[in-house]
Amino acid sequence: MPAGEAPAAPAASPPVARARTDRWAWVGSPLALLPLLLVATVAIVLLVASGLHNFGGSFWSTRYNFLPGDPAGSSWGIGAFVAGTAITAGLALVLATALSLALSISIVVYLPSLPSRVLTILTNLLAGIPSVVYGIWGFVVLAPYFGFTLEPGLRDVLGWLPGFGGPASEIGPYGILLAVFILTIMIIPLTTALMRDALRSVPHDLIDAGLALGATRWEVARRVRMRTARLGIGSAILLGFGRAVGESVAVAMVIGAVPRLPLSLYSASTSQASFIFYQLDSAFFYPFLLRFLVEIALVLLAIALIVNLAAQRLTRTEIATATTVGGAGGP
Amino acid sequence: MALASGVAGPANGADLLTSTGRLRRRLVFDRVIGWALLAAFLVVLFPLFDMLYWVSAKALPTLTWGTLTQNQVGTGGGLYPMIVGTFVLIGIATAISTAIGVVAGFYTSEYAPAPVARVARIAGNLLAGVPAIVLGYFGYFLLVIYTGWGFTALAGGITLGIFMTPYIYRTTDVALTNVPPAQREAALAMGSRRGQYLVRVAFPIAIPTILTGIFFAMALGLGEAAPILYTAGFSSTPITSLMSPTGSLAVAIWQFYDFPSTYGSFLALAFQAAFLSIVIVLVLNVAVQLLSDRYRRRLRGLYQ
Repeated sequence: MPAGEAPAAPAASPPVARARTDRWAWVGSPLALLPLLLVATVAIVLLVASGLHNFGGSFWSTRYNFLPGDPAGSSWGIGAFVAGTAITAGLALVLATALSLALSISIVVYLPSLPSRVLTILTNLLAGIPSVVYGIWGFVVLAPYFGFTLEPGLRDVLGWLPGFGGPASEIGPYGILLAVFILTIMIIPLTTALMRDALRSVPHDLIDAGLALGATRWEVARRVRMRTARLGIGSAILLGFGRAVGESVAVAMVIGAVPRLPLSLYSASTSQASFIFYQLDSAFFYPFLLRFLVEIALVLLAIALIVNLAAQRLTRTEIATATTVGGAGGP
Repeated sequence: MALASGVAGPANGADLLTSTGRLRRRLVFDRVIGWALLAAFLVVLFPLFDMLYWVSAKALPTLTWGTLTQNQVGTGGGLYPMIVGTFVLIGIATAISTAIGVVAGFYTSEYAPAPVARVARIAGNLLAGVPAIVLGYFGYFLLVIYTGWGFTALAGGITLGIFMTPYIYRTTDVALTNVPPAQREAALAMGSRRGQYLVRVAFPIAIPTILTGIFFAMALGLGEAAPILYTAGFSSTPITSLMSPTGSLAVAIWQFYDFPSTYGSFLALAFQAAFLSIVIVLVLNVAVQLLSDRYRRRLRGLYQ
């Protein structure tokens, strides 16, 4: 869907023919406000379920010490989980930003229309693959390669860099780096589609002016398109971050699921979304653990909403393409 | 490589072969970076094809007719209950999210006063930004615990419906907003009411885009285990009523993927579930492509 070419939101419709029988307005107004209500309800339900009493004290601690039979002796803080989320989503975002910029400039500036169409369809196809499938592919196919080839190699070559030298994951080949890679390819279709639309919506006058002054295609892409579209690109980056932060299943399958701060890029760790995903069934029996999970969920919700609002603030234009990537297929 | 747009050639006819010095360096850099950027496609295309290859390679040798028609028994059997469950969940979710999303889109694009439309759009995007697992927790507390239903297909369907709604809402809103204004002016000038304009003029024009949104939301919903694991639960027998727990393909992969190799047949089941989900998503993708192409061709004249 060519939503990138969408005109700005329409002004209020002129009061033409406001008839008695506008049942769509009657039914539609509560439904249109339903998303707002739902977001608020989600927050309230989680607040109530958390019991509102664990905030404070060791809340931000990075220790996690869960003793199933002993609520009083158990102690934990949310620090390790927030850190795991920030590290995996942050690194994935750095990679995805660089790659998506390359892909979108390629598609918009360099490639002829047929290859550009085909590559767009293939990128969108990637968006349609279920996240559990990413997870099982990472778990079965990618993990041995990462654990036994890529990571030892990285340690030999880049071991002197912070993070690259630390210990390997102690539970098989699962850890941070694998999760970062999976997240990167999961968010690339989204960020690429958004950046593509942003680069494409740069006014033709500016581009023609650049070319007329003798700039090469790359110079125009770099100094005219990217500069003019910087808000759209920033918004794409933030929305990609939001997607990466919220991903639970695929990360849970490959990150190693050890609730602690990561010791290195290769070490097993955890993230907020993945932890609350795989821990809920053990929490059925331990109400005090359940409350902690809900607190993690609340912080996750807060992060996601703030990132999303910031992205929307950057571009007042429609960000609907974010929601339709993968469906349309065409550029 | 040719230019994507039909404007001038690289640097406006400046020739790579005859130019010298700084200009030549810039032209060469332009070419080199054009090819270098293509390398990024490897990073995207390799995972895509590797994933399709491995999932097929691991699933197809053990895929039989029984996989589609039998219940899961122990570590073997088939995925019949999960296939049925997936369609039931997606069915409920699509019905709910389409009803809400399309009607809300009608209202936002045509009737809502500007400030209301603004808030509604921001809220819609916000809902799309809520992580799926957080919606899963919401469904668990509200529809499983608070209502006392326990794990039910209905709770799973509703939660999945909430997850899918913002996508359908957005596409409907954008599709209707993008209908050429001349259509609206003509319809209103002929004396039609706004409701009539929406249903008889704008909606038929917007249908391909709306369908794209619905199919895309379905594909997203199919692949998400997070909203349904703790609402629909899991079951290895076919669903008996909407108020019973049900398995689904996405959750099946999660349930079966992590067992020691002595239970290898579990992993085979997980890969078969992954294969079936991919097939369903690809079919949805192709269907939406064909449908929207057909409508687009029929409506081509409108946009000129």
